[in-house]
Amino acid sequence: MISNAPVEPVMGFVQKIFYFHVPCAIMLFLSTFACAAGSIAYLFKGSEKGDRLAVSAAELSVLFGACVLVSGPLWGRKAWGVWWQWDARLTSSLLLVLMMVGYLIARRYAGPAGRKLAAALALFAAVNVPLVYKSVDIWRTVHPQTTVVPKLDPRMRPAFWSAFLLMTLTWSLLLALRYRLENARAALASARLEVDDLLEMKR
Amino acid sequence: MRDLARRIPLALAALVALVAAPGLALAQEFQKVEGAPRQEMAASPFVVGAYSFIWLAVVVYVFIVARGLARVDRELRDLEQKLQRGGGPNR
Repeated sequence: MISNAPVEPVMGFVQKIFYFHVPCAIMLFLSTFACAAGSIAYLFKGSEKGDRLAVSAAELSVLFGACVLVSGPLWGRKAWGVWWQWDARLTSSLLLVLMMVGYLIARRYAGPAGRKLAAALALFAAVNVPLVYKSVDIWRTVHPQTTVVPKLDPRMRPAFWSAFLLMTLTWSLLLALRYRLENARAALASARLEVDDLLEMKR
Repeated sequence: MRDLARRIPLALAALVALVAAPGLALAQEFQKVEGAPRQEMAASPFVVGAYSFIWLAVVVYVFIVARGLARVDRELRDLEQKLQRGGGPNR
């Protein structure tokens, strides 16, 4: 479908990056929202499941963020002549990914309070998402505006929506797999505690 | 006489600035050149690079998570065996 979609007249063949760059950006936003939802459940209800969802989604934010931050400059180098511009969209996207990296670092290295600190950081990251999305409309930027997808050439739509569907499916499977790992780790930790208790009783 | 000595370099500097100004202005403008060779970069390495990175990142991530799952499953089995042995070597 992507190869059959018409070549964009101004940018040419390099515009084909759009079909996966934009779905990756949407998955970045979706992961950040999922992380924030899990973090809210953990912070306000003490939900362990929420915390597991949050850490799983945070990793996906970093994964898809990396995909956006690599595919974007590759597109930009050909279309704009530069790899990077410190404009509103690019800078706020980088900031969002760095916040999610911060989330993972806080969980790993911030000690006993790390999970709560990370959860609070996830809320700030989620607030940043609408700002990243609207940045191209609010500020003057080299990045295309949010009207690109709604005004997409009808002949390009099947390629875009099929890529979006594929990416959503990939995201769902990755989230399910990562969540399963987090459940398995929790089961292992609780089994270790049970074994320790049993051994203690036998002594 | 001293005043004159001070004024001459100033007058010369003003004259140079006046003469150079239109030249500077011209240098700021774009001029159309006919028949110049176009600088073209091939798009395919960028497209292939972007697509390859995205799918490679997904595959590497799946591999890392699957390896983590296998390790946790193995440790769970070890714990079960330890329980069945009634405490095993730690007893």
